[in-house]
Amino acid sequence: MSILPAIGLHHYLIVAGLVFALGFLGVLVRRNTLVLYMSLELMLVASTIALVAFSRFNGTMDGNVFVFFILTVAAAEVAVGLAIIVALFRRRQTVQVEQLTALKN
Amino acid sequence: MIGTEELLAQQLSVWVLLLPLASAAIIALFLRRSGTVAAYLSTAVAAVIGVIAVKLAFGGVRFEIAAEWFTFGDFTLSLGVNYNDLAALMLGIVGVVGFFIHLFSLGYMHDDGAKARFFGGLSVFMFSMIGIVLADNLFMMFIFWELVGFSSFLLINHYCLKDSAAAASKKAFIVNRVGDFGFLIGILWCYQAYGTVSLSGLEEAVGAGAQLTMWVPLLLFCGAMGKSAQMPLHVWLPDAMEGPTPVSALIHAATMVAAGIYMLCRIEVLMVADALNIIMWIGTVTALYAALCAVVQSDIKKVLAYSTLSQLGYMVAAFGLGSLVVEHDGHEVLIAAGVGAAMFHLTTHAFFKALMFLGSGSVIYGCHHEQNIFKMGGLAKKMPITFVTFTIGVFAIAGLPFVTAGFFSKDAILHLAQMKNPAVFGILVFTAVLTTFYMFRLWRITFFGETRSDAAAHAHESPLTMTLPLIALAVMSIFGGYTHGALGFLYGHAFDGVWSQIPHAEGLGVVLLSLAIIGVGAGAALAFYKPAGADALATKAPGAFAGLTLLKESFDTAYTWWVAKVQDRFAMLLNFLEQIFLAGLIVRGLAGVVGLLGLGARALHTGNLHAYVYWFLLGVVVLWGFAGGLF
Repeated sequence: MSILPAIGLHHYLIVAGLVFALGFLGVLVRRNTLVLYMSLELMLVASTIALVAFSRFNGTMDGNVFVFFILTVAAAEVAVGLAIIVALFRRRQTVQVEQLTALKN
Repeated sequence: MIGTEELLAQQLSVWVLLLPLASAAIIALFLRRSGTVAAYLSTAVAAVIGVIAVKLAFGGVRFEIAAEWFTFGDFTLSLGVNYNDLAALMLGIVGVVGFFIHLFSLGYMHDDGAKARFFGGLSVFMFSMIGIVLADNLFMMFIFWELVGFSSFLLINHYCLKDSAAAASKKAFIVNRVGDFGFLIGILWCYQAYGTVSLSGLEEAVGAGAQLTMWVPLLLFCGAMGKSAQMPLHVWLPDAMEGPTPVSALIHAATMVAAGIYMLCRIEVLMVADALNIIMWIGTVTALYAALCAVVQSDIKKVLAYSTLSQLGYMVAAFGLGSLVVEHDGHEVLIAAGVGAAMFHLTTHAFFKALMFLGSGSVIYGCHHEQNIFKMGGLAKKMPITFVTFTIGVFAIAGLPFVTAGFFSKDAILHLAQMKNPAVFGILVFTAVLTTFYMFRLWRITFFGETRSDAAAHAHESPLTMTLPLIALAVMSIFGGYTHGALGFLYGHAFDGVWSQIPHAEGLGVVLLSLAIIGVGAGAALAFYKPAGADALATKAPGAFAGLTLLKESFDTAYTWWVAKVQDRFAMLLNFLEQIFLAGLIVRGLAGVVGLLGLGARALHTGNLHAYVYWFLLGVVVLWGFAGGLF
């Protein structure tokens, strides 16, 4: 039939895990707030992949419904988050996290 | 189903309690800067109280109501009114004398800068005093007991910029607290022993044969010892004269200091012979001691203060003498003679002592706040109304037969003492001689002879608001002794429950004894003291004078010694321990530990976002491990 083995739930989850790890790595190592933000989004997307996969293989709609909610919340969050970053840049002329140490003092 | 008349009486009793509170609240909240309005409000309320008190007493309705306040387990605290003949009498005294003293204060405090505070304080006092009078259980009485202590503190401290007034008010409060501590323990013990603190409940319990103990009445008497200034807690009362004179008349002569005796009469059922014996001796010794002290005083108010102490001692002694079997219509009946005699003397004393205090207030007002009797003199002509009324007061306390109230009440006490205890009788007769002696000394030096200072030379009769109360109280001092019959119009039959307990001596002996007492006391005083600028006793017999002064000061000296040498040192020791253990080990130690933790926690906060992310990662790993059962 095909040279490729049948694609099962495991594969989806591995992809989701990889994307999540990528996102997390980004959060850990990048210094630019904007990029950090993108990495966060990547982690969110990873969870939605997993949810869609679950939904597909369980034959229910639960996971899909979750995804809609996550997308909605993520959209709202991005709107707020980007606005904050823009405001931050206007005030401090930088979005590099090592220069944003106001919590320290 | 209760009748409308009874319902009305019950409502009135609640009104009479709450009106002065309302007046005090209005003055405190809205009238602090308008003293004159406050004065009229307070006086108007006092007038209404007087009217209600009289109406209630003569209405003839006696009742008991109670409402639950709160409950702890099976212990219920209630607030209520127990209105019997005794309460009616006391309420009448508080209401009527209180009103006249309010009226007097309108004149006396006319130019005072803090009139609102003064009249507010008087209203607080009226509220708390009426609370004591009406209280139907000991806990409620204790609450109001403390409130009168507070209002007394407030009013003694009226001239609060004077150090002596501030010190006197503190002394009064602290000494009273000592007595109240015993009172509180007594109430708790009473509850433990009888399962109730309601006055009627106690009566039932005793009637049902509950075992009586000597300690409950003695501990309760501790409260009376503080409030009624019995030895050895009498030291606050002479100092309390730092307050304005109307306050001395109302609180420290006529009503509050009598609350102790009233309280004893309310709990008479709890008394046992041993306790009564101790109470009797404390009263007797106080009466004698205070009379001796009064002889060497030169401040007009201090003389009256010691006289008050002495008369309070009389009442306490009368109460302690206890019940008596008398012949009545051919058969013998047991009467609570102690209660009858004590309350009778309390009543007449309230009239004539309030009269004399207000008289002295009028004198002080006329002499521009001069209080030393040796700087007065010759006031009889300058202040005729004050002089005549004050003279009636002097005769009343001396007990001039038939024309004064003091004769009947003092005679009842002496008669009771004669029947029960010859030693007490002897001391009380001697005290009566001394009473006459120092009162006539005061009277002669103040009102006769040459004027001996500029202040006295410019003395003038006081205004009508001040002389009117004097006249009214003088009338009561004359007719207050007739408890029944044609001349007993002051009382009608409203207080027969109390008056029926008075022991009456018959015959000529009583009159002769009274005349002899007055003759010896007044004769000696008039012969010995001439109106002069110095105390005749101090110049002619300096030894006796110094001895009596020493006697007067001995208690204060002893207490000062105790406080300085014992209490202060103990306090220093406690302070030392507190510094080491509480402040050092516990407070500073704990703060140190928390501070150290804070130092560690602060090191974690670098302010760097990535550091937080790594902490977060660590947290996730730990949580994961925990969820996975790694540890």
